[in-house]
Amino acid sequence: MSQTITIDPVTRLEGHGKITIQLNGQGEVEDAHFHVTQVRGFEKFSEGRPFYEMPSLMARICGICPVSHLIASAKACEAIMSVRIPHTAAQLRRMLNLAQMVQSHALSFFYLASPDLLLGMESDPAARHIFGVVAAKPELGRAGIGLRRFGQHIIELLGNKRIHPGWVVPGGVTEPLAPAKRDEILKMIPEAYANIGLALGAYKQIAESFAAEANVFANFPSLFLGLINEDESVEFTDGTLRLIDSHGEIVEDGITAMRFTEVIGEAVEPYSYTKFAYYKPLGYPQGSYRVGPLARLNIAKSMGTPLADVELLAFKQLSSGPVWSSFHYHHARLVDMLYGIEKIEQILTDPLILDKHVRATAGVNRLEGAGQAEAPRGTLNHHYKVDENGLITWANLVIATGQNNNAMNKGVLQAAKHYVKDGKFSEGVLNRVEAVIRTFDPCLSCSTHAFGQMPLVLSLLSQEGEVVDQVIR
Amino acid sequence: MARCLILACGNTLRSDDGIGPWLAEWAEERFASEPDVRVIARQQWTPDLAEDIAGAESVVFLDCSIGSAAGSVSMVEVRPCSVAQGFATHHVGATELLGLARDLYDSLPRTSLLLTIGAGSTELSETFSGAVLDAIPEACALLERTVVEMLSGQA
Repeated sequence: MSQTITIDPVTRLEGHGKITIQLNGQGEVEDAHFHVTQVRGFEKFSEGRPFYEMPSLMARICGICPVSHLIASAKACEAIMSVRIPHTAAQLRRMLNLAQMVQSHALSFFYLASPDLLLGMESDPAARHIFGVVAAKPELGRAGIGLRRFGQHIIELLGNKRIHPGWVVPGGVTEPLAPAKRDEILKMIPEAYANIGLALGAYKQIAESFAAEANVFANFPSLFLGLINEDESVEFTDGTLRLIDSHGEIVEDGITAMRFTEVIGEAVEPYSYTKFAYYKPLGYPQGSYRVGPLARLNIAKSMGTPLADVELLAFKQLSSGPVWSSFHYHHARLVDMLYGIEKIEQILTDPLILDKHVRATAGVNRLEGAGQAEAPRGTLNHHYKVDENGLITWANLVIATGQNNNAMNKGVLQAAKHYVKDGKFSEGVLNRVEAVIRTFDPCLSCSTHAFGQMPLVLSLLSQEGEVVDQVIR
Repeated sequence: MARCLILACGNTLRSDDGIGPWLAEWAEERFASEPDVRVIARQQWTPDLAEDIAGAESVVFLDCSIGSAAGSVSMVEVRPCSVAQGFATHHVGATELLGLARDLYDSLPRTSLLLTIGAGSTELSETFSGAVLDAIPEACALLERTVVEMLSGQA
């Protein structure tokens, strides 16, 4: 008799999802799926709205990475307007996006992942949370809270709100940077460096003890996609996309936002409301790829900042080619954060950063536009069509979690096959299966639109589809 | 860092749940000329607020209460709890925030009070229930008196 294990909800994620693991009659894992269980509706209900409202509307998709949606959306609107935004506006947006990346990564690493890493995959689940980390490692708890504050406070200073700032608009930003705000951000930089240094040091000390997990946490060849500058350094806000294969060879380069849908398709599966992105020439699912910190570091030849470049070199020592194991998303996330802090410091010393020209204006000059940016968890593409009056007639969003969806599902299957034996599993085993998903730091609120309380269930199903055992949280 | 920190919590789209942010806005105006008073209003309290609390001499938490009679105004002392106890990552209460301030920053305000108004409704709405509307003058007077006492060192 076959069985199904259901983990519902998967905890310590942004949003809500569940995992099912299907066992055969011998108790061996046959299949596993990660389900995103709420439907999204943003593309549909934006139809009929004026295009210039889109950034503010789209930012409401997510409370953790609204800035990336703001930026990708504003860029899509600017394509419709046919304008190029002022240099200072581009730099300010870049800083805002990096601040969001730092705070989001701090949440992912310290609040969501570090309980597994610092307290152990098998540790008492009742204390396996950020407050357990605070109790066991207060210096790291302070560092995590400090880095999150750093990013959030910059967002608040620039956008006047910590969540859903309305400062980014089609054409640029609504107001220039005040000197006092620049000075306040610069004052926070030294502490941010100290905190990320502490985190990188602590991570390197424990990383080797997770070699077994790294071996089976979504460790397989795949394509990788991410934004890159002309000098092949990492980019979050501008640049174009590069797609590489599992050996590091360039498959596609210079992918602009408008070209995105020429090369990337989206498939659907009956078990999830999140779509599955794939590289069209290879088809689905062979063309599945990964985005986010791991992909960014695999693709980039440099970070473009001195300290992060040193860390990138160390990261690339993990493999002779692209790093395959998704466990190393954690490491890549820390390098991203260091880069973000350095880049913010660089941006603030730009002689034009206080310039008052921060917004271009125009009406509808094209009936279609697309924009892309790197969200903390990966590439984001917004694509709109409008009528002559600038009202949205069609919209499509391809978000990072959808682009990692196939890899997350394959990763769950890989880990489940390794850890679930003879139909038996412990809480620690199930936590490891959940931890595979946590490495990707998926944002399910972005991929869907959750409403109400979201549970997480892990189910063990029989061959006939009957629920044999279930853990519900 | 402020001598007196007023820390409000609530969702202004859920009728009486928004009373904390409303009182915070009132306090911000009332104490606008007082540099030793700092007001923070959030939809939910998160762990990063522990540092602000650790740096304050006194703190007043503002929230609605779904366990009290509608419109009842209450002020109670708050003590820190152990951070090792399990609670949600996305939202923490006043006692947990005090626990974090103590355990992470080795500092606690001299006085920590929680002012609540019993909620009559938390349905989707941007207006308060009649019971909470009636209670606002009492809550404002109590908040004003408390902050003045805190600043004078009497509380």
